[in-house]
Amino acid sequence: MMHGPPGPATKIATAAPVLRIGAVGKRFGTTTVLENCSLDVSEGEIVTLLGPSGCGKTTLLRCVAGFWDADGGAIEIDGQEMTQVAVNRRPVGVVFQSYALFPHLTVEQNVGYSLRMRGVPRSEATLRIAEALETVSLSGFEERYPAQLSGGQQQRVAIARVLIMQPRVLLLDEPFNALDAKLRGSMQVELRQLIKRLGLTSIFVTHDQEEALTMSDRIAVMRAGRIEQAATPDEIFDRPATAYVADFIGTSNFWEARADGGRVVLPDGQTVETHLDGQAQVMTRPHNLHLGSAEAGAWKGTVAFHRSVGPLVEYHVETSGGATVKVAAMRQERARPLEDGAPVSISVIDPTLCAVYPL
Amino acid sequence: MAEAALPSGIGQPGLGERTVDALLSGRGIWPAVPAIFVLMIVAIIPFMILLSLGFSDIVVARGAIVSQTLSLSHLSNALSDPLYWTTFQRSLSLALSTTALCFVFGYPVAYLFLIGGRWTKRLILVLTIAPLLTSGIVRTYAWLVILGGRGVVNSTLMNIGLIDEPLRIMNTHWAVLIGMVQIHLPVMILPLIAVMSRHDSRLVEASENLGASRLGTLRHVILPLSVPGIGTGAALVFTLSYTTFVVPQLLGGGNYLNAATMIYEQVVFSLEWSKGSVTSLILMVTCLVVLVTIALLTNHFTRWTKGREG
Amino acid sequence: MLRKSSLADTLGIGLILAVALLSLVLLVAPSLIVVIISFDTRAYVSFPPEGFTLRWYAEVFEQGELVEAMLNSLQVGVTVTFLCVVLGVPTALACARGRFRGTTALSVFVLVPHMVPGIVLGVAVLFAGALVGVSPSIWLQSISITVFILAVMVRTVQSRLLRLDPALEEAAANLRASPFQSLRTVTFPLLMPAILAGAVFTFVEGFDNLSVAIFTHGFRDRPLPVELLALVQYTSSPLVAAVSGVQIVLAVVALIAVSLSIGLDNVNE
Repeated sequence: MMHGPPGPATKIATAAPVLRIGAVGKRFGTTTVLENCSLDVSEGEIVTLLGPSGCGKTTLLRCVAGFWDADGGAIEIDGQEMTQVAVNRRPVGVVFQSYALFPHLTVEQNVGYSLRMRGVPRSEATLRIAEALETVSLSGFEERYPAQLSGGQQQRVAIARVLIMQPRVLLLDEPFNALDAKLRGSMQVELRQLIKRLGLTSIFVTHDQEEALTMSDRIAVMRAGRIEQAATPDEIFDRPATAYVADFIGTSNFWEARADGGRVVLPDGQTVETHLDGQAQVMTRPHNLHLGSAEAGAWKGTVAFHRSVGPLVEYHVETSGGATVKVAAMRQERARPLEDGAPVSISVIDPTLCAVYPL
Repeated sequence: MAEAALPSGIGQPGLGERTVDALLSGRGIWPAVPAIFVLMIVAIIPFMILLSLGFSDIVVARGAIVSQTLSLSHLSNALSDPLYWTTFQRSLSLALSTTALCFVFGYPVAYLFLIGGRWTKRLILVLTIAPLLTSGIVRTYAWLVILGGRGVVNSTLMNIGLIDEPLRIMNTHWAVLIGMVQIHLPVMILPLIAVMSRHDSRLVEASENLGASRLGTLRHVILPLSVPGIGTGAALVFTLSYTTFVVPQLLGGGNYLNAATMIYEQVVFSLEWSKGSVTSLILMVTCLVVLVTIALLTNHFTRWTKGREG
Repeated sequence: MLRKSSLADTLGIGLILAVALLSLVLLVAPSLIVVIISFDTRAYVSFPPEGFTLRWYAEVFEQGELVEAMLNSLQVGVTVTFLCVVLGVPTALACARGRFRGTTALSVFVLVPHMVPGIVLGVAVLFAGALVGVSPSIWLQSISITVFILAVMVRTVQSRLLRLDPALEEAAANLRASPFQSLRTVTFPLLMPAILAGAVFTFVEGFDNLSVAIFTHGFRDRPLPVELLALVQYTSSPLVAAVSGVQIVLAVVALIAVSLSIGLDNVNE
């Protein structure tokens, strides 16, 4: 990992990261909530911390914001160490899950709060507030109180309130949780467009896969206080680094197999290379499997049931070993979907898209 | 510093602000220190002194204590004094009967609050809270007026012709009891209302939906759920009626002795401070015993609120 | 049994509601009677009243001792309220927002003087004062009532604080507010209703308290309850009825004011 700016001759394509989280840890009493988390976020990038509740994603966010002090490691923004910097001096803007709008202040006073705290004169403040409200399409709402706003409007006020500070990093803690499903989708797209338009570096926290896949340039999948994998959605989907990531994102099939001499034999006879040795687990996605007639291959099973997922048909096949394998096929492959009870054989389309993990 | 540069001096905190910031940001105990200090000096230490006075022989001269030696004589004297026993027994029975009667009269009001509409609720709240904003003397005086020789009860009965001479209601145990119950009624009602408001009104609906009569709902659903409120109300009413001074003094006449009036007499009139100490201590200890009993009973009847073990 | 049984059920519930109504009447009747008596023209307390006069109310304010007692109680009420706000609000802040180990212990500690019977506290303060040469006075009375009732202020403010979204203060900090600014612009405005409610209760206690005051009040600075006690015990004048009438009216007015401004949801006793 590099420290300090690149020298004059080595102008690398990627500039120094805006936010650098380096081996951050956090303990509460005897419980370790974060362990050795490292992540670099580049200018204008949207990264999502994704994981189930209790995985530490919110804790990490709060450490970056300064609400909690990390027990180890470093947090740098634009190369400056943040550990000694108080919350109100960090160049970050936080959008809370509950939006935390000040109920006793108008929209205008909410949005202009940070300016008032810094002593910005009224005339300038009024202009900047109007600008911020326009950015989130809430012009004219100055005199309203938060209680009079809808959920979506409240969220936009919360965003305008931080945008006005021109923060280096935008931190959003499950901002769509409080919205109903229909609104969520459109707000996600809108927000991503806004962030990209303003070129803001952002970190989202969510437990919702769909949200992560929609909003992010990169996803950091977390579990039990550690970052398991931080990569683009495509990479995570096609090349999950661990069994946990594979299981958490998208649908996956797992089975046990034996790694021998640098190879694992797949149930249909093909092989995939691996550096592991001994008992291992193999994973592949449903769309990497194909259903053929029962006599066509060695991996046999019967169709238990099927369901439609958009343009795909997802079959649940009970194999002779007892395990259920999910196979996805395009609808147009067959005139009509296979019936329950139909005998089939399964084959792997591309062995290289099978992942081998330690047990 | 990666922040838009502001002209220095604008928004810079002064010394006072910076001190407060330092005190607040640690989220420490600092803001509470003044209160702790005052409480120590005005409450905790005096209690210790009270304790020590009860267990020592002191010589008082000109209102100040001259000498002090450890002694259990005051305590043993008190415990072997029949007057003490009767006085405390009287206080205890008075307090317990007051508590029981307050429950009998107060619970229906809370029930009415539960099933009543908005205006009923408001009326009940006003009628219950308003008396608490007046002093005990005012409320006790009202009973003097009502129960006195020429008071409401007697005048009305005489006017109707039921009696020829005024009944002697004042200065009896009954007068004190009636006064205590009425005066402490709000203290029983408010916690009950608090607990009842917290519970889902749909529980009542569900119970009736399942075919329960209203009495059945009351007995099987509402009553058990209101036990915490009953516990709190009983504890408060008991403490107040056990230690109240005004009501027995005014409604019971000069010779009516209960624990509180006894303390008053010992401390203010006969200046027997050690005795006063011991009486106070006995009062506190017995009060505590009853309160603990109430807490245990409440605990027992709310077993269902306990979470999973471990 | 749970079966619907109409007659017994109706009778039972009817009985309960009848008792409830009786209790409500019982709550208000004595005060009403006192107010009625206070307009009586006769110079002794009797029922039913004869005539109608405001003479006793006027006389209340002509009695030097009564007026002085009222002013004393007023002073005590204000002092107690002031001290409770100054001592209690920061304590509530420490209890609700503190990140040290003894937050529960602190809450309990503050509650101790309140749990003890008022007379015991009064006696204890009197004795302790005698030991150090502090004699009963209006200030001793004020400070002893303060420690007695402090827990109510702390509890009222604390419970409001606990229901306040902690994210509000974090947001303020993130939006460049120093801890002091956050307190001043976000926390305090939102705490105001609770502080006011607490202030009403502490003022009333300071004004009306007898159990602690009777041992700690200054000989020359008799508060109203003590003065009334003497009056009631040794005279039979409707004067007391008039004073009571004033208190009752003030109580109702205060209640209406409180309910109009912050609603009657402060059943936090």
